[in-house]
Amino acid sequence: MFGFRLQKRETPLPGGQIRAFIVGLLVALLIGALLLLMVDQNPLDIYAKMFSAAFGSSQGISTTLTRAVPLGLAGLAVAVAGSMGLWNIGAEGQIIAGAMGAAWVARLGPDLAGPALIPLMLFAAAIFGGLLAFGPAIARAQLGVNEIITTLMLNEIALRAVRYLVNGPWKDPDSFNFPQAPALPEQSVLPTLFDRASIAVLIAAAVLLVFGVYASRSAWGYELRVAGSSESAAKYAGISLKKKIFTVLVLSGTIAGLGGGLVLMGSSSSPSRLVEGVANGWGFAGIIVAALALMRPSGVAAVAVAFGAVQVGGLRIQTLGVPASVANTLQALILFGALAAAVFTNYKLTRRSAAQAVTA
Amino acid sequence: MDNQTPAAELVDIWKRFPGVIANAGANLMVRPGSVHAVLGENGAGKTTLMNVLAGVYQPDEGTVSLAGQQMSFTKPAQAIKAGVVMVHQEFRLIPTFTVAENVALAGSPSIIAKRSIEDSVAELADRFGLATDPSREVWRLSMGERQRVEILKALWQDAKVLILDEPTAVLTPSEATELGRVVTAMANDGRAIIFISHKLDEVTEFCDEATVLRGGATVASSLPVEELDAARLAELMVGEATEVSVRRTRTSPVAEPVLEVRNAAVRDLHGIATVADVSLTVGKGEIVGIAGVAGNGQRPLADAIAGLESLESGTISLGGSSIEGATPKARNAAGLAYVPEDRLGVGLAPRLNVVENAMMRSYRSMTKGPFIDRSATQTMCEDLAAEYKVKVGKFDAPIGALSGGNLQRLLVGRELADDPKVLVAAQPTRGLDVQGVAAIQQIIVEQSQAGLGVLLISEDLEELLALSDRLLVMHEGEIVAEFDPDTTSRAEVGAAMAGAH
Repeated sequence: MFGFRLQKRETPLPGGQIRAFIVGLLVALLIGALLLLMVDQNPLDIYAKMFSAAFGSSQGISTTLTRAVPLGLAGLAVAVAGSMGLWNIGAEGQIIAGAMGAAWVARLGPDLAGPALIPLMLFAAAIFGGLLAFGPAIARAQLGVNEIITTLMLNEIALRAVRYLVNGPWKDPDSFNFPQAPALPEQSVLPTLFDRASIAVLIAAAVLLVFGVYASRSAWGYELRVAGSSESAAKYAGISLKKKIFTVLVLSGTIAGLGGGLVLMGSSSSPSRLVEGVANGWGFAGIIVAALALMRPSGVAAVAVAFGAVQVGGLRIQTLGVPASVANTLQALILFGALAAAVFTNYKLTRRSAAQAVTA
Repeated sequence: MDNQTPAAELVDIWKRFPGVIANAGANLMVRPGSVHAVLGENGAGKTTLMNVLAGVYQPDEGTVSLAGQQMSFTKPAQAIKAGVVMVHQEFRLIPTFTVAENVALAGSPSIIAKRSIEDSVAELADRFGLATDPSREVWRLSMGERQRVEILKALWQDAKVLILDEPTAVLTPSEATELGRVVTAMANDGRAIIFISHKLDEVTEFCDEATVLRGGATVASSLPVEELDAARLAELMVGEATEVSVRRTRTSPVAEPVLEVRNAAVRDLHGIATVADVSLTVGKGEIVGIAGVAGNGQRPLADAIAGLESLESGTISLGGSSIEGATPKARNAAGLAYVPEDRLGVGLAPRLNVVENAMMRSYRSMTKGPFIDRSATQTMCEDLAAEYKVKVGKFDAPIGALSGGNLQRLLVGRELADDPKVLVAAQPTRGLDVQGVAAIQQIIVEQSQAGLGVLLISEDLEELLALSDRLLVMHEGEIVAEFDPDTTSRAEVGAAMAGAH
C-alpha cells in the first residue's frame, strides 16, 4: 500500500531482542521529546528526572521494585500460558481473587495459625487465583471453548465479588462508610526489605527465577513450546494436549493469584487492606509485560522492572509540572516503541520490488 | 457455442516463488458455456494458475485475457469486478450471518433492505437449482449447503468465469451429484466453469473439456472429454517414465507380519468416510507401496495407523499386539515410526530449534530430574546429523532454517533412531531435489533390508514401482487393487488409480 511491507524473517534477528528494544526505546524517547518541547519542558531534563525517580535513590528503587512485583507475576502468568499459545486475559481477576483469598484467611483469625499465617495467606491467594482459572481451563481443554473470552469475562465476576465484599459483609465498620475492608492485622503484613519494598520483592523474584529456569530447561517447558509451536506436532510427539492446556491455565491463574496476595500484603501504602481497586490494572499490564518478553517466562523479570520504572518515572514528572496526559502518553510511547521493536525481531520491513510497486 | 471468443484465456504463464517454479509456461483456454476440468497432481501448478486468473498473484510472464480483452489484475477485487470468481476449498463465510447476509457481503447497494435481499437471493438460488433458505444462519448448514452459499455469492457478483477448487472434496456422493446439476445449469446460462479436481470419474461426468498440468506446464489443453479414457488421463497426469536412481532387489515372500490393518474405517470431522474397510499387511523387511491420486484416503489411513486420527472401526496390530486403542506415544514406543506428509507442522515443530526437534521422540529418557540433559541432547542431535548427513548451520537455529532435503533427512533419521519395527512414510520424497530424493529412498531401502517393515505412501509412481515389494492402490478410501511391481505396467496402475476396476 505504501511501498513497504512486513516480511517474516526466516530466523529471528540474532540478539535482536535487545537491539530492537534499544532502537524502539530511542524512537519513543525522540517522539516523546517533541511532545515535551510542545509543553515547554526540557526533554533531557525530564528524562533524567524520570530515570532518577525510578533508580536514583533507595526509595525510588524500592518503589520501582514494589511495582514490578504484580507486573512480574501477572506477566509470568500470561507468558506461561502464552508460550503454549494460550491467552490468559484474566490475570486482573485472578489478582483480585488472590487478594480475596489472602484477606479471607486473615479474617478467619489472625492468631489462628501463628507464624504460619503469612505462608497460609499466600497459599490461599495462589489457590483462589487458580480456582478462578479452573473453569476456563476445563472448558478449553475438554470443549475447546475460547479461553480469551472466558478468562476476560471472569475479570468482571471477580470485580463484582470484591465490590460486594467490601461494600457488604467485609466492610470495615470504622471506615466512615468507605467501601473497604478492615486493615489487615499486623502479623499478616509482609516484613519490610528496605524503604518501601517488602519481602514480596524477594518472593516474586524467587518465583520468576524458578519458573524462568524451569520453563526453559525442563521437559515440561519443552512440551509447552512444542505445543505452542504446533498442536499437530505436539499430538504427534505424544504430548497430551488436554492435560497440558488444563494444567497450564490453572497454573497461570495460580501465579496471578499469588501476585494478588503479594499486592495485598506487601503494598507500600499503609495500612494494608482489601479494596475494590486492589488489582489496579496490574493484570492487564501483565499482558504487555509478557508480550514485551516475547512470551518467554525467563524474560519477564527484566521487563517488569523496566515497566515499573517507567511508571514511577511517569508519576514523578507529573509533580514537576508535566501535564498528566503528556506523562501518560510518554509511558504509552515507551511501551509502544518496545512492543514495535519486539515485532521487528521476527519481521523485517522490505520495499516492494519495483515491478510490484508499479502494478500495485 | 464452440466458436466464440474464449471466456478466459491464459497464455504461457510463468510464476516463480523463491526456490520453486510454480508455473512454467502454463496455458488454459476456457469457452463460455462450458465446464472445463483442470487436472494435475499436487504441486502441478493448478492452484497457482487459478490464483493468477483470479488476481491473487501477478504472473512473471504471460498474459491473461477475458472475453478477448487482455487483463492485468493486481488484486482479487479487480478480477471479481471483471467477472472471475473463485470458490476456495476453505469457505469464506461468516458463520453467525444468514445466507442472505453472507451473499450480500459479496457486494450490494450500500443501503440494505433485508427482506429484498432475501427475496433476490432466493430468486437467484431458484434459477440455478441451489436449494437453500436465505434466512438461515450459515453455522446451521451442512458443508454442501455452505458450498451452495459460496456459489450463490459468485453468481451474485455475476461471475462470468467461476473457478471451483476441488469442490467435491467436502461433499457426500449425493451432494456431489447435486453440484453436477448446478454446474450444468450455470454453464447453460452461458457462464464458463473451471472445475479443479483429482477425481477422474467426476471429470468425465460433469465436464466438457479438460486441461492437464504437470510440473507447472500444460501437457494437454482443452481435450474433449468424450475422447478421454481414465487411463490416458492418469498417464498424462503422472507423466512419462522417469529414471529412478534407487532400485532394490525384492524380498522373498514374507513370513512374519509386523503391521496388520484389518477393516479399518475413518470418518472426517464432517462425518464423511475417508477410509473405508481397508485391510493390509506389511511383513518384516517388506516395503508395501500405496499408490493413489491425492485425497483418496491415504493421509487419514497413515494418521490412523500412527494414532493421530481415531478409527471408526477395525483393528491395527504391531508386531502381533493390538495398538488401535493406544496413544501415539505408546505406538511409537512399541516400534512404530511415522514420517508424516506435513513435515514441518506435524513431524517437526516450526519455531523450535534443530536440537529440540531432534529430541521430540527421545526427550523423555534424556532428563536429569525434571530438566532436560542439554549436553546429551546436543550430542544425540550431532550424531544424528552426522549419520544422516544433515547439513546444520547452527544447532540452536530454528528448524525452518534447514532446506527441505535436510529437514527430511533429520526427520527420517530421528524416526529410525530407535530401531522401529515399522515405518509409515507418507510422501517422503515429495518436493525434494534429485539428491534429496535419492538419499531418502536409499535410507528406506537399506533399513528394509535390515528388517524394517515399510508402508510407503506416495504419489510418485516410479518411486513406488522401484521400491515396493507389493503395490496397493487406494481409491475413494478403499484398497482397490494390488500389483506385483515387477510384472505390472504404469498404465495398469494408472487405470486403477483412476477408479477403473
